[in-house]
Amino acid sequence: MTRHERGLLFVLLSPVTLFLAVFFLIPLATIAIFSLLTPGLYGGVEWSFYHWNYGRIFGWADGIIEIFEPVYLQILWRSLMLAALTVILCLLICYPVAFWVARLPQKWRMFFLFLIALPFFASLIVRLYAWLLILKPSGLLNSFLMTLGVIGEPLDILYTPTAVVLGMVYIFVPFMFLPLFSSIDTLDRGLIEASGDLGARPWQTFFKVILPLTTPGIVGGSVIVFIPAVGNFIVPDVLGGAKGLMTGNLIEQQFLSSRNWPFGSALAMVIMAVVLTVLILFGSRARKAGVMT
Amino acid sequence: MKQLPLTGFSLVFFVFLYAPLFVIIAYSFNSNPVNMLIWDGFTLDWYKGLFGIGERLDVTQRATYIESTPQLLAALKNSLIVAASTTGISTVLGTSTALALGRHRFRGKSVYSGGLMLPMMMPDIVLGIGLLIFFSTMGMRLSLATIIIGQCTFLISYVFIVVQARLVGLDPALEEASADLGAGEWTTFRKVTLPQLAPGVLGGALLAFIISMDDLVITYFISGTGSQTLPIFIFGMVRRGVKPEINAIATLIILASVLIAGFGLWFHARGARK
Amino acid sequence: MKPLLEIRAARRIFTTPEGRNIAALDGVDLSVGDGEFVTLLGPSGCGKTTLLRAIAGFEQIDDGTVRLDGADLTGLPPHRRPVNTVFQSYALFPHMTVARNVGYALEVQGVSRTVRMAEVAEALDKVGMADLGTRSPGQLSGGQRQRVALARAIVAKPRLLLLDEPLSALDRNLRQQMQFELKDLQHRLGIAFVFVTHDQEEALTMSDRIVVMRAGKVEQIGSPRDIYRKPKTRFVAEFIGETNLLPARVNRVGGDTADIVLAGQAVTVPAGNLRAEMAVTAVIRPTDFILGSHGIAGTVRRAVYLGADLHLKITPDDGPELTVVARDTSRAPGEGDRVHLSFDPAQVHLLEGAQ
Repeated sequence: MTRHERGLLFVLLSPVTLFLAVFFLIPLATIAIFSLLTPGLYGGVEWSFYHWNYGRIFGWADGIIEIFEPVYLQILWRSLMLAALTVILCLLICYPVAFWVARLPQKWRMFFLFLIALPFFASLIVRLYAWLLILKPSGLLNSFLMTLGVIGEPLDILYTPTAVVLGMVYIFVPFMFLPLFSSIDTLDRGLIEASGDLGARPWQTFFKVILPLTTPGIVGGSVIVFIPAVGNFIVPDVLGGAKGLMTGNLIEQQFLSSRNWPFGSALAMVIMAVVLTVLILFGSRARKAGVMT
Repeated sequence: MKQLPLTGFSLVFFVFLYAPLFVIIAYSFNSNPVNMLIWDGFTLDWYKGLFGIGERLDVTQRATYIESTPQLLAALKNSLIVAASTTGISTVLGTSTALALGRHRFRGKSVYSGGLMLPMMMPDIVLGIGLLIFFSTMGMRLSLATIIIGQCTFLISYVFIVVQARLVGLDPALEEASADLGAGEWTTFRKVTLPQLAPGVLGGALLAFIISMDDLVITYFISGTGSQTLPIFIFGMVRRGVKPEINAIATLIILASVLIAGFGLWFHARGARK
Repeated sequence: MKPLLEIRAARRIFTTPEGRNIAALDGVDLSVGDGEFVTLLGPSGCGKTTLLRAIAGFEQIDDGTVRLDGADLTGLPPHRRPVNTVFQSYALFPHMTVARNVGYALEVQGVSRTVRMAEVAEALDKVGMADLGTRSPGQLSGGQRQRVALARAIVAKPRLLLLDEPLSALDRNLRQQMQFELKDLQHRLGIAFVFVTHDQEEALTMSDRIVVMRAGKVEQIGSPRDIYRKPKTRFVAEFIGETNLLPARVNRVGGDTADIVLAGQAVTVPAGNLRAEMAVTAVIRPTDFILGSHGIAGTVRRAVYLGADLHLKITPDDGPELTVVARDTSRAPGEGDRVHLSFDPAQVHLLEGAQ
């Protein structure tokens, strides 16, 4: 590489590198540091090493080993489970639709892809608010079902984990759809024909040919849904209530109400660990699927 | 034909996707203030109330009206300022990064471009609190400036991806032809590369703008008390309970988002065809 | 004897986006016997691929029947038809090894692994790919992939094999070699082949019978020799090999023979269906002309020396330009030379009417 090229590269990249190093990497590092500090009495921090933040997460609060309260572990576990459930539901919902769109003639394809991407751009908080309207006891769903006589009393969906999953699925469907669609779309039709020609029944063709070949899209979509889902805070805040509490809410509480920043940082570190694990395990496959449009 | 269940499922899917939005839009015109679900009649009251005009219903409602309109407009103004700034900064930085990575090879390039994806992959809340800790430890006061900085950390990545995608699709022979015909590097960039790249850059900018306008979590943690953005304002209202005015704001936001996004996607499709 | 494959009056109509109806197949009749090598030959758009896909089940015909061994295949999906296809793009499953690709038809039938492996080994051996079972398709060359596609299609021992321009992606030398191997394989297997190609040389080389198609209709069916020597229409005459079409008139018909005049020459030919005063067209192949001292007189417009042959374009004093291929290149005329062309009347084939 010529000296001129190297100079150009330096000029183009150094602002970005500097910016991200200062405002992205360093903040992450400070989270790590804070997770090991002692929480101050009135909400500040004391600069001394304190490993009991993590202890608290795993069930031993404040250095008292005898009392085991895995409350926070339960919430962490719930976050993982709800995120996983969201991924599965998004997959089950998006796969057939992606298949359907991939088979449409070109004009219609563009239109429906547009249609799917559009809600993504309407404000998140507005879309969640809509579900609030629909799910609350006097809301649309319950009124509708009660008028029909299907149920006698309002369904208790709001402020439960069910509502959280519903909200997250609704928000993340566009995220899952695009990588999945891209994978299905680039499938060679000839392979499906060949499979039928050789005697495979439609479900055999699906499991032996189509599914294996769309795995990159499935993995890619799952990764970009799981990660924001596991650390989500907005959806459980609006729709989850006490029963739908997730790690994200915990973190928010520690930072803005309880003012226990070290503990909040420790929780955030756990989330980061989960995210990095997922990325390391599946990241390269996700990128192969062309995760972004 | 076996297409039918698939088509049926897909249509249900689209209904599921759009029904909540239509619910809000419908309710924003319902004149029943107590139980939104009982249709009382068409009204524009809630919209009028939003902008401080028209009849108020009763004292408690009046209090909400008086306070919320200036707050709403202030939040909107803040959002626009932040979005304009972040769009500008992230577009410049994202584009220059895409150009640097797209046109040169160097050791560690794949690591670097992988690293660029990291801000997008991190859950917002982690970014948010990280910045909060960072700013407070540095002694920086939270304001619109901190919001702008915070949003740029991940917006750069978004712009980068869009521009890079466009860059990859460009024919390198065009730049070679330009050089062959005597144009220097800067001239080639100005007259050949940039015009072709333009749809990608604009697409990235539009994306950054929309995401910035809609950002909630990161802004939530690093905005000071005086610097509410529109999503934060609505979030606050939602938290305090469901009110008819929210439907009106929400409908207007849906409309605006659809128009902007629609325009953006249409423009992107046109650019991609060239 | 009943034919293996019988197609009667097959019709397939497509509607274009503008609303026009195009007949991809316009009343096609075809029979293929057991173990026969039949080629569907024609220019693009003639319907040969549509016909092939209709046999395989990927296209439905709007009218007519397709019967295999007497059983009506209409309406049966591809996976229920005992017919296998070698695709133009080979369509090898990229996520499976060669062995699994080849064994796929047996795998979906639930055949046990041991039996499958034995059959796969046998099929690979037949196509000369014995040791490559563990490779993946991405690691193979074009020719190797072609053979794997072939092995995959024969492993379930179908009665009929359909091949959709399988050699078109290969370079010339490989192509010629594969033509030979395919023909050989077909003989050894005893399976009927229906082969699609637009390359008439390929069709002539490999087929027991050729079906020449145009615009959804069958122009002529016959052995390579019949098609070449006795084309029934101008199209067939011109599509297969180079040809000369000379207008002629029947002067007199008497007994077994008829006198006709073409290019100023009086020639006596077998009478056939000829009547006096009839206008006919004579089909004379470039190799049928003999350069000599008598016959049609003309000037050499162009001479191309090709080693074994000499290709000449000759402008006769009377009549359209003639293409002549001379085998004896020792006495090669050059451009501008005067030549005389004679021919054997028995080799002349006549088409009715002025074409």
